Amino acid sequence: MRILVVEDDAEAAQAMCRGLVEAGHTCITAVDGVKGLEAARGGGGGFDVMVVDRMMPNMDGVTLVQTLRREGDNTPVLFLSALGEVDDRVKGLQAGADDYLVKPYAFPELIARVDALARRRETGSVHTLLKVGELEMDLISRGVTRAGKAIDLQPREFQLLEYLMRHAGQSVTRTMLLEEVWHYHFDPQTNVIDVHISRLRAKIDKDFDRPMLQTVRGAGYRLDG
Amino acid sequence: MRLPSLTRTTPFRLTLVFMALFAASAAAFLAYIYVATAGEVTRRADEEVGRELDSLQAVYARGGLPALNQAMIQRAVGDRPYLYLLMDKAARPVTGNLAQSPLDDATRAPARATFRITDTDPDGAVVKSQGYGRQVRLPTGELMFVGTDIGPGRAAVIRIVRAIWGAGVIVILLGLAGGLFVSRNVSRALADFNRAVAAVAAGDLRARIPVRGVRDEYDELAVGLNGMLERVERLMGSMRHAGDAIAHDLRSPLTRLRARLEVSLMEVQAGHADPQPALATALEDTDAVLKTFGAVLAISRLQAAGSIAEPKAFDVSEVAAGVSELYEVLCEEKGQDFGAELGRGLIVRGDRDFVAQAVANLLDNAVKYTPEGGAVMLRTRRRASGEVEISVTDTGPGIPGADRERVLERFVRLEQSRSAPGSGLGLSLVAAVVAAHGARLELDEGPGVLDGHGPGLRTVLVFPAA
Repeated sequence: MRILVVEDDAEAAQAMCRGLVEAGHTCITAVDGVKGLEAARGGGGGFDVMVVDRMMPNMDGVTLVQTLRREGDNTPVLFLSALGEVDDRVKGLQAGADDYLVKPYAFPELIARVDALARRRETGSVHTLLKVGELEMDLISRGVTRAGKAIDLQPREFQLLEYLMRHAGQSVTRTMLLEEVWHYHFDPQTNVIDVHISRLRAKIDKDFDRPMLQTVRGAGYRLDG
Repeated sequence: MRLPSLTRTTPFRLTLVFMALFAASAAAFLAYIYVATAGEVTRRADEEVGRELDSLQAVYARGGLPALNQAMIQRAVGDRPYLYLLMDKAARPVTGNLAQSPLDDATRAPARATFRITDTDPDGAVVKSQGYGRQVRLPTGELMFVGTDIGPGRAAVIRIVRAIWGAGVIVILLGLAGGLFVSRNVSRALADFNRAVAAVAAGDLRARIPVRGVRDEYDELAVGLNGMLERVERLMGSMRHAGDAIAHDLRSPLTRLRARLEVSLMEVQAGHADPQPALATALEDTDAVLKTFGAVLAISRLQAAGSIAEPKAFDVSEVAAGVSELYEVLCEEKGQDFGAELGRGLIVRGDRDFVAQAVANLLDNAVKYTPEGGAVMLRTRRRASGEVEISVTDTGPGIPGADRERVLERFVRLEQSRSAPGSGLGLSLVAAVVAAHGARLELDEGPGVLDGHGPGLRTVLVFPAA
């Protein structure tokens, strides 16, 4: 994927790019909002995801994203910000950003969110049936089967699995799960998410030789087909 | 700090401006009075002289020049208060008590004139005065002048004008003295303000302006400014406090991280170790540091703000239901019973996410300290007082009554609670959330000792009725 990183801290941008390249992406950096806008508009455009710092000289991230959205550019944007308040998150999302990450962040968190944003773009169409390997989920009847065998899930487990299936093959972090499945924007002291995952894992992997729900060290979880 | 020179103070300058205005208007007033009264004196003299001339002309009409000459001689030596002079056609004096016509052009007639009179009184002293007179030409060509002494009238006018001038000077002097007095008082009052402001500017945030207790506008301003300084001091304090807290919380994990990285580097260099696990551990440590950092930041923000910026009404039971759903499995995993009794429609105002986090932290603690086989209970209800309470009860060891107060104090004092890792931060956040919502935190004994468990702990968040 081609990723544009708009970040005024050159060192942070470089480190981020190294990580993104390591994760198999192409990374281009811009040092402020104006350069970022030029890069996004320019002939070399066509980015899959943009990572935009909120506070920058010349043009801040909110203005940059608003401008792009007005011009009809709907490239997914991940906002980075040192401001962690819920209000800031809301303002960022209102400006047209697709996701919001507070500094300091863990790198796997960034990679996972960038992947999720790119993926969201690919699967724009509405599916009523999700299928990952042997696992099938019918969003209408709310039935789940693995290799044809029905799996009984609680409502929250169903939502958790749905999210994992929509992001199959990608790492998803605990924070992402808490935000997307439970809609909480805080870090619990204990890893309650792990308990929910282990319950879900027990239901979908217990009677099968090959586990589908993987723990990714230092990042979170991944559902493999 | 030195008082500013009195003459440079605003009240004094205002006094000067006012005095200048006063002097100008007083001068105009005096000029008017002078012109009006002096004119009146002349007008009356003119009238009297006119009557005398008329009477003399009547004499002339009846008896001709000899009769007039006779009448003028008589009148000049009589006790009439007039000056007389009869002149021939060339204005040479004929009779009268004046040596010559006071007119510059003695042949001009009819004419009016004001002139000086120099006379000697019966004691031989020279008396100077002012006269006013009219000169007419008789039908046969002779000239007649009649004047009168207007000195006394004029003198009265001049005395009045002098008196008013004197009064004006006294008023101006008193005004200046008053201005100086007021300036000095204002300067003194403001000196207190300036002293305090200078002290604050120099870094002493505890400086305050003395309130004199006379309830004037200076006191009002002083009270207002003191309130502002108090708030600034408190904010600065909490900022510093937050800074200290962050430093304190991050120092040990960072030190540990550094030590591990150092040892790992030595081991890898010596060739006895694989760098990967060391890096993975370092990453985990860093994550823990970041997590602590985030929690401390949230607490500091809440404490610095003192209240929720944009409070919204929400149902506490819904929040509790959401969080209990998150934690129920955790209890089950630890072999604890979990129960939730949630009332309905318990509306409070504030920040839903923060309250959810506070409840989550309480449940975290309850699950952490309750042994296997114990129970954790989450309840929400409305009190008879209308207040809304969220309580978490566990069957863990609880907190002895004597220590409860102390623990609560620790909630207030962020850094002290931080000496216990983990939970300290969670409860600090609960305390900060509670304070920001105008709510309170109560600690109580749990259900009591049972089967070797207990007595347990009941933590209650009490929100004011929305």
